[in-house]
Amino acid sequence: MTVPPQAHTPRSLVAGSARVTIEPFGETFDVEAGESVLGAVLRNGRHLTHGCKHGGCGVCRAMLVHGDCRLADRTSYSLSDADRAAGVVLLCSTYLDSGDIGVDISETMDVSAAAFTAGSSVTAHECVVDGVTALTRDIRRLRLRLLDPPEMRFTAGQYVEVEVPGSGGRVYRSYSIANPPAEPDRIVLIVKRVPNGRFSAVLDTGLRAGDRLRVRGPMGHFALRLSHRPMVMVAVGSGMAPIYSMLHHLAARDNRRRVTFFYGARTDEDLFLLDELRELERAHPWFRFVPTLSRPERNAAAWAGATGRVTDVLARQPGTLRGHEAYLCGPSPMIDATIEVLLALACKRRHIFFDRFVPTG
Amino acid sequence: MTPKLEQVHEKSKRYDWGFDYARPNPKFPTRYLIPPTGKDPFRHLIRDYVRMESEKDNRVYGALDADVRYRNANLAEPRWVEAMKFAVPCFTDAEYQAVTGAGFLIASVRNQELRQGYAAQMLDEVRHTQLETALRRYYLKNYHDPAGFDIGQRALGNHPIGTLARASFQPFNTGDPIECIMCLNVVLETAYTNPLVVALPQVATVNGDHALPTTFLSIQSDESRHMANGYGTLMCVLQEEANVPFLQEALDRHFWHQHQSMDTLVGVVSEYYAVNRPWVYRDVWEEWVVDDFIGSYMSRLDQFGLRPPARLADVARFVDDMHHSAAIALAAIWPLNFWRIDPLTQADFDWFERAYPGWYARYGGLWERFAELSDPAAGRLLLQDLPALPPFCQVCHVPCVMPRIDAPETRIFTHEGTRYAVCSEGCEWIFGLNPTIYTGCANWWQRFHGMDLADVIVALGYVRPDGETLMGQPHLNAERMWTLDDIRRLGYEVKDPLAA
Repeated sequence: MTVPPQAHTPRSLVAGSARVTIEPFGETFDVEAGESVLGAVLRNGRHLTHGCKHGGCGVCRAMLVHGDCRLADRTSYSLSDADRAAGVVLLCSTYLDSGDIGVDISETMDVSAAAFTAGSSVTAHECVVDGVTALTRDIRRLRLRLLDPPEMRFTAGQYVEVEVPGSGGRVYRSYSIANPPAEPDRIVLIVKRVPNGRFSAVLDTGLRAGDRLRVRGPMGHFALRLSHRPMVMVAVGSGMAPIYSMLHHLAARDNRRRVTFFYGARTDEDLFLLDELRELERAHPWFRFVPTLSRPERNAAAWAGATGRVTDVLARQPGTLRGHEAYLCGPSPMIDATIEVLLALACKRRHIFFDRFVPTG
Repeated sequence: MTPKLEQVHEKSKRYDWGFDYARPNPKFPTRYLIPPTGKDPFRHLIRDYVRMESEKDNRVYGALDADVRYRNANLAEPRWVEAMKFAVPCFTDAEYQAVTGAGFLIASVRNQELRQGYAAQMLDEVRHTQLETALRRYYLKNYHDPAGFDIGQRALGNHPIGTLARASFQPFNTGDPIECIMCLNVVLETAYTNPLVVALPQVATVNGDHALPTTFLSIQSDESRHMANGYGTLMCVLQEEANVPFLQEALDRHFWHQHQSMDTLVGVVSEYYAVNRPWVYRDVWEEWVVDDFIGSYMSRLDQFGLRPPARLADVARFVDDMHHSAAIALAAIWPLNFWRIDPLTQADFDWFERAYPGWYARYGGLWERFAELSDPAAGRLLLQDLPALPPFCQVCHVPCVMPRIDAPETRIFTHEGTRYAVCSEGCEWIFGLNPTIYTGCANWWQRFHGMDLADVIVALGYVRPDGETLMGQPHLNAERMWTLDDIRRLGYEVKDPLAA
């Protein structure tokens, strides 16, 4: 039943993929190669009744109304011959090998149109800027307060899309939420200015306290998992944001699981929120913060902390990561390199969760 | 035109008592506030349900017939089939307790939609009980060593595993109805249904047994309905904030207790009674119980204030070792078993060392000793090497050698004049919640204190039809079986470790 971790990058249309239409709602989705119809529906943020997701329980019944599909063998116990002959399918075990299909759930499931779309709970909010702070030469903290609607319930690790002012509602940029879910009335973002970035351009010159911004959210599946496992968190740059939210959420929840946070930067001028993170360490014995600098020779002041790239520091840490969970946030090459290090340290792939930051410009 | 299923379903719900003319006294009291509205996620009418279940049954019995023709029972690894002698009655006990549990819920919960779900569950559990009885009958009639299958549920009832099973499954139908649901539907049927009913058949298959997978996969197709009953009931009672602390305590209690029995049972059967092993039990536990039950199912309940079980980290710690301790303990008491144990070989040692580094240093010597002493000519029992018999935990009834035989976390205390042992802090806490639940059960060794081991075996009924040969054996060699005389020659006197 585990939902695999979703990467942040949007999925594009795969050549040769087929499509499924869900009646009575009339929505059509691409089904990727090897993906079940139920998988495609859930991936697109829609809801249909389902249970075991492997053909055993028979809950995800639907009628096939057009096209041809293949039912996995595992449905032999859960779908009777009479049902099969009548065109009943189990969506978790329905695969498209030859073209598009249509299924109808109106006779087989009790799902209203509202419930169908409730899988997607994204709302648009009017916000006011409370402040813009320069944390380093290229990192900004943007504090927003939600006006209408005044609250947005999110989980630590999620992100929002911010409308670029002056774009007429056409251009959005995605940023992870840095404050914890216990503060649903505000959004704190940590933004890295990129050269020629649409939002970066506005951030330094055109945004002041009192200005209005429109925001859509919450989005994303990067999230803390409930378990007993100790955690390592790894981030660089503005990847700090979702981790920061997670740490404060854990602190508010009487967490007991050990957390080690490796944060990589170039020089000490690129570090930020140091005091806040050291304070977290002091207040919570389960938390250890390990900032590391890859270019300490260029520091303004002496540095007693770890040096090297964050992946190298992680690789050097003593002991195994067997039985750990890992939460990573940063650019793709860093994510890929960190995953290799984690696997080599005996962390399981399915216990590695990440959010790839891809600059849009 | 046939009316829509939902319309018929809604109409059928209107045939219920309104009770606005009388005050209904609860047949079984509960400390929970139960709102009158819920949602039955499995809309079904009896005529459709019966047709569906009837077809499922036909498939299982048909497949068992085919297994007879293919001589499957004797082509499977005997090391595995021997485990079925105690495992199948355990599951049957659970199914039967669940029959009465579902009935208990129908009589207790005054919410019509939820009662629909419980009614279907009760019928399911009856079917499951029957399927497992049929499975046992199949082994009895077709396996070359029927001793142990032939004395039915009595075999389990007399054995320490029987006490473990009874203690584990009785909370399905005893106590507060909502807590019965927490134990049965939420903990056992949501967290543990996958290791039991989906993963264990994988072990059966790679050891050549097709009868158990056929039966269990048919059972599994109903389990999701039971999970939905649990989820539906939880969603209903979580609407009342006052219920949350009770639910948390129930979850903490039942998660610990079910882990103690189920993780031990499935770990032992899947690793020690198999020649071929498709996975390491700890990995299965991580995936199904932690990632799915805690990570996925429980995360949906987080918003209502229900937290993961308090002792989750301790459970993880115990899962690494418990079943190893239990397996060697069962081997040490082999004369008191009603099945045969195949000694482990070097290939087995190698597997265990790879899967659990450090295993050989802790357990290898004991298994080698067990093999050394397996022929009756050896004239000695592993039991005689032990300084004393381990007591059984008064709560979960595992032997108090947990989690590791070299580092047990046993607690021994006196309550109202009687000495008790518990295996762990978790069980000590459970005992303290309501000692009356646990103090009524005698400690297993007590009845046999001072008796010759041979007389204990006779009292248990674990003797083959010739009146001499033991049912339990420390090997699979039909030519060299131990007899009551072999045991009497040892002069071993059973001593209750808790006796004053």
